[in-house]
Amino acid sequence: MPPPNTPEEGVVTAESPSDQSAPSIAYIPTRHRLYPEPPESPPPRAPTAPPAATTESSRATTPNPSRPPSRPSSAGRTSPVSCAGRSCLLPINYQDLQYETEVDKSLECPICRTPFYLPLTTKPCGHTFCAACLDRALEIQPVCPIDRQPLDASRDLCHTRVVLDQLDRLRVKCPNRGCDHVCSRELLAVHYERYCDYTLVHCPAPECDLRVARVDARAEKGCLHTYTACQYCDKSIMVAGLEEHYDADCGGHTAKCAHCNAIVIRHRMEKHIAKDCLRTVVACKWRPFGCFEWAPREEVEKHEQGHCVYQAIGRLVRDRMDDRMMINELKDRLSTVDERLRKAEKEKRRSHAAPFVPDLDLNDSPRAAPSYNSGAWGSPEDYMLAQFERMESKMEDLRKMIMELDGHHSMRLLNDTMRLNEQIAELGSKVGVLGMHTTWLMNVQRQSRGQQRAGAAGSPPGSGMVGSSASAASGGSSVGGRSVADSDRSRYYSANDGGVPLRRNSHDRGENPPRL
Amino acid sequence: MASQKRIAKELGDCTTSPPTGMSIALANDSDVHKWHVTLDGPPDSVYAGGKFGIIVTLPAEYPFKAPVVTFATRIYHPNITNDNLGNICLGLLKPENWKPASRLLSVLEAVRALLIEPQPDDPLEGRIADEYRRERKEFEKNAKSYVTRYAKGPVKFDAPPAAAAPANAP
Repeated sequence: MPPPNTPEEGVVTAESPSDQSAPSIAYIPTRHRLYPEPPESPPPRAPTAPPAATTESSRATTPNPSRPPSRPSSAGRTSPVSCAGRSCLLPINYQDLQYETEVDKSLECPICRTPFYLPLTTKPCGHTFCAACLDRALEIQPVCPIDRQPLDASRDLCHTRVVLDQLDRLRVKCPNRGCDHVCSRELLAVHYERYCDYTLVHCPAPECDLRVARVDARAEKGCLHTYTACQYCDKSIMVAGLEEHYDADCGGHTAKCAHCNAIVIRHRMEKHIAKDCLRTVVACKWRPFGCFEWAPREEVEKHEQGHCVYQAIGRLVRDRMDDRMMINELKDRLSTVDERLRKAEKEKRRSHAAPFVPDLDLNDSPRAAPSYNSGAWGSPEDYMLAQFERMESKMEDLRKMIMELDGHHSMRLLNDTMRLNEQIAELGSKVGVLGMHTTWLMNVQRQSRGQQRAGAAGSPPGSGMVGSSASAASGGSSVGGRSVADSDRSRYYSANDGGVPLRRNSHDRGENPPRL
Repeated sequence: MASQKRIAKELGDCTTSPPTGMSIALANDSDVHKWHVTLDGPPDSVYAGGKFGIIVTLPAEYPFKAPVVTFATRIYHPNITNDNLGNICLGLLKPENWKPASRLLSVLEAVRALLIEPQPDDPLEGRIADEYRRERKEFEKNAKSYVTRYAKGPVKFDAPPAAAAPANAP
C-alpha cells in the first residue's frame, strides 16, 4: 500500500534532491522518541586509546614522565563531566560483543551485520533493524533500507517480542578486557554494571579523570595513571596499561625459553614454564596415586595418555572421590528438602487455624541455598553475590506481598465500612420512624384523655371542681401546684369550643399514624 | 565504529567465498575503506582473458552512503568512462538507489554482470553505446584491442592517478 505520491523509479532521479532534504528535516524532531539513545561512544576499552595518546605525550614531556601536563583526549570517555554512582560507566557497545556460539543470520541487522540491539520492525514491510542503524539510515533518506518503501519514523515502527526474546537468550562474552564471564545477553548489563571486576570506572584519585578497571580502583593503590618505565623496553608506560603493553607493543619484550628455546613474551615466561613449555621437567599427573614419572612435559603427556600404569587406579580413585563429593552434596540437598518439607507441613497445620498466612519465611533462605562449604561456589564473593541476589529477590517478593496485602486490606476495610454505613443509615431511619410513632401514640392518648375530660366537664357543672378537689385530696401535699395545673389545663381545653380536643401534630399531618 | 565491524564482515565474506573470477585485497592493511579487486574478464564476454583492477572505496558513512567503484584498468565499455578515472555507471550504486542493506558481494557481482551484459540504454560513453547497439562487430574488435592493450599482465591499481597526470597536462 504505497502512498499515492510514491515516485516511479525513473522519477526518483529527477526529484531526489528535494526528496532527500525535506523529509529528513521533518524527521529530526521525532528521532529519539521510540527508543532510548543507543550507545554511540566507542566500547569500554579505553586502554586502547590512552596508550596511543601516551606515546605522544610522553615524547613531548620526556624529562618529566610522571604525569602528562595536558590530559590526552581519550576516545574512551563519553563525557568529561564528573558523575557519581553507576551512571558514569561507559555504555556497553552491543555491536562489538563476542558471542559464545555463532548467531543465527536471521538475528543479524542487515545494516551493521551484528545481532540486533534494540530491534525495530517496519510495519509496512516487516523488516527489522537495530534502532541506531535504522535511525542513521532514515536520517539520510526516510525509506526502508531494504526495499525502499517510504517510512514514517513516528508511525511505521514497532517492536517484535519474539526477536527480543531470542536476542535476550543469546550467550555473550563480557566485553571487558580480562573478564571471561559468559552470560545471556539479557543479564550482561547487570554483570557489567554491578559485578564485573574489569569494568572501567573513574580513577579513585580525585584529580584524575581517566578510567581504571574496577578491581584496580582502590584508594590504597592510588592513581594508576602515572607513567613508569617498562622494565623490559624502557618505554614510559602508564601503570594501568602495563599488562596490555607487555602483550602488544613492548619493544624488548620477547625472550628465549631456557628449556625449549621458544620465543616467549618475557612477562609471560612464568606462565609459559608452568603451563605450556614442552621441555620443562614435570611430574606425571597420577603422581598422587603412586606414579614416579618425572620427565619433560611432552614425554609426560605421552606417558599420561598411554603408558602410565597408575592411570587406571588414579581414575578409579578420582571417580570415587567425585562420587563421594556428589553423595555428600546430595545428602546436603536431601536434608534441605526434608527440612523444607517439615516446615511446609508445620505451616500447613498452622494455616488451618489462621486462614491467611503468607507463604514466606525469611529464616529458611540460608539453608535453602547450598552452603558455601559444599563447593558449589567458585569463591566467597560469588557466594555472597548469590546470597545478595536471593535476598534481593526475596525483598522483591516481600514488597509485592505487602502491596497485595495493602490492597486486600483497604478493600476489606472499604467493604466493611460501606456495610456499616448502610446499617447506621437504616437504624437512623428506624429511630426516626419510631419517634414519629411515639408522638402519634402520645397524641392519641392525649386526645382520648381530653375527650374524657370534656365529657366529664359537660354533664355537671360542678364535677370539674369535684375532680379537682378529689385529685387535690388524693394528691395530698402538692395541692396548690396541682390545682393550678388543672385549672390551666381546663382553661386550655375550654378555649377550643369546649368539646373538640386539640391535636398538636396529627392535625397538620392527617389522621393516620405515620407508616414504617 | 559500526561501519568498521560491518566492513570487516563483508571483507570476510568476500575473501572466504569470493565472487566468481575475483580476488580481493586491501589497498593497505591498516585501512579497510579501500579495496583492490582483481577481476578476470568473464570467459563468455569480449573481455575474456583480461585482468581488470577495480578500486572499491567505502565512504566513512558506509553502509549509509554507497561505495564508490572505479576501474583502475582502462576498459572499452558503454557504462564505464573511457578514461583514466574508470567511473562506472551502476544503478545499484546511485545515491537515490543505494540501500544500506546491500552487500558488497552483490555490488561486485553486479559489476561482473555489467561486463557480460552492458547496458547501452544508460550509458556513460554515448559513442560506445551507439557502437554497441549498431555495429556490434566493431565494438567487439575495439573492446578486445583494449583488453590486449591494457588488461594483460599484472594489474596495476595505482596506474590511473600516475597516468592521469601526464594525460591532463597538455
